[in-house]
Amino acid sequence: MTSVPSALRVVVVNGSPSQPSKTMGLVDVVLDTLKEMLPIETSRIDVYRLGPGFTGAIERDGVPPEVEAALRLAEQADLLIPAVPVFRGSYPGMFKHFFDLIDQYALANKPVLLAATGGGDHHALVLEHALRPLFGFFQALTVPVAVFASAGDFDGSVLLNPRVYGRIETGLTDVADLLRARATGAPAPAAPAA
Amino acid sequence: MAFEIGVMTFGEITEDPLGGATPSPRRRVRETIEQAKAADEVGLDVFGVGEHHRSDFVGSAPSILLAAAAEHTERIRLTSSVTVLSSEDPVRVWEQFATIDLLSGGRAEIIAGRGSYTESFPLFGYDLRDYGDLFREKLDLLLRIRERNPVTWQGRFRAPLIDADVAPRPNGGTLPIWVGVGGSPASAISTGRLGLPMALALLLGPLTSHEQTVELYRQSAAAAGHDVGALPISINTHGYVGRTSQEARDVMYPYFAKGMAENNHQRGKGLLLPRAAFNAQSSPRSGLLVGSSQEIIDKLLAYHELYGLNRAIIQMGFGGMPQKEHLEAIERLGTEVAPVVRREVTALEGRAA
Repeated sequence: MTSVPSALRVVVVNGSPSQPSKTMGLVDVVLDTLKEMLPIETSRIDVYRLGPGFTGAIERDGVPPEVEAALRLAEQADLLIPAVPVFRGSYPGMFKHFFDLIDQYALANKPVLLAATGGGDHHALVLEHALRPLFGFFQALTVPVAVFASAGDFDGSVLLNPRVYGRIETGLTDVADLLRARATGAPAPAAPAA
Repeated sequence: MAFEIGVMTFGEITEDPLGGATPSPRRRVRETIEQAKAADEVGLDVFGVGEHHRSDFVGSAPSILLAAAAEHTERIRLTSSVTVLSSEDPVRVWEQFATIDLLSGGRAEIIAGRGSYTESFPLFGYDLRDYGDLFREKLDLLLRIRERNPVTWQGRFRAPLIDADVAPRPNGGTLPIWVGVGGSPASAISTGRLGLPMALALLLGPLTSHEQTVELYRQSAAAAGHDVGALPISINTHGYVGRTSQEARDVMYPYFAKGMAENNHQRGKGLLLPRAAFNAQSSPRSGLLVGSSQEIIDKLLAYHELYGLNRAIIQMGFGGMPQKEHLEAIERLGTEVAPVVRREVTALEGRAA
């Protein structure tokens, strides 16, 4: 009898206030592609919907229980996917506020896949010049290929541009073995007998 | 596929940067019909009217201007350029263009677009957040109406149609429906998937700006099982055909710069397009169709070679080009440019076949 593989616990930190959102449209493609490679269980934290107990928090101590739960969820992920729209040239302040409350060492050596959307291709380096340094501070293990899509790549919030699909595939293939080794979630249900 | 050449207008009501006069809406609508008549008489293939809901354009109701044009023309195709379908009722759009088609003996068509201006959304009670979904759904309904009558259809943004009779049927039973594409990869891909003809808009930039757009369009059309060779592609761009190279640029520049300043803001203010930048845009490797008849012929053939283009629709009145100069340019386009381009393209395609 072979052992059943564990699922990778993926936590998306959504920095977009919009519903539906292009940023989550991009993440949907990432998750769908990842699902084809290994068993995953996903959860999502919408930073814009954590409420006044989150927006008014000055330090980690004393945040309301539901905010504490969201922070812990991110800290305990096997793979973290921070995903943001570009606001005023960078990630939204609300998104940074979430990470300001994250424990300094909780993300050390944790796989982190960076994702962002912007009005045009000229925003693409937000991944390298804003997001990657933030996770560099946390000593996180950022995936080498980060994913970006422009507004024109979407029909509504559905990602259409095949080049972005290709980049997602490449980025995930690079780290598929690593992610398989890091999976700690409940074992995936066994595949039905053929 | 025969190469088609036409002109389009937004019915610009812009203060003349040289003379200072602003045409009245009454005068501009009459001039618009006169342009259609002139284009028809010199043998151009298409006349288009764009949709804008603002006081500086008279074209908020293109179907009505096109209906009037139908009464003053004999052979030219009459198209919207574009119909802002996202904020329209596709049933009404169909009724209007089918009626123009009956009036004109089968010359009506629709270029459906998302709209590069957003004024129509609040005017008709639509939410810009639904921009993508609105267009997808309304195009779906318009295509369904074209496909069958009575029609049964259901969507998110309007009440369902159950066995609804949408009348009239057009002269030949159907209407050409193109999709206007500004160049975003996603709209090229979704247009290709539907197997619809694509009308590309090119404002400024290199001739090659749309290489990726056209490639994605053809790839997605082929992947969806459409006959890529049978899908026409059009370019809609600004230009002016002058007596000479220099005269064309001198006549067009002040008006085009004015139109750009009023419609293309930077830091909330109009930006004056420097003459040097305009001259660069009119060079052989740039997209703007300004120059002598020979220059326009060369550039249209370059467009054809690059994209396999089948149609070009030129907007010559941007920024309020005076009617006299506008009509002269229409005449040159019809008598000097179009016959040569059509002949050359036919010869090229004969050789390729």
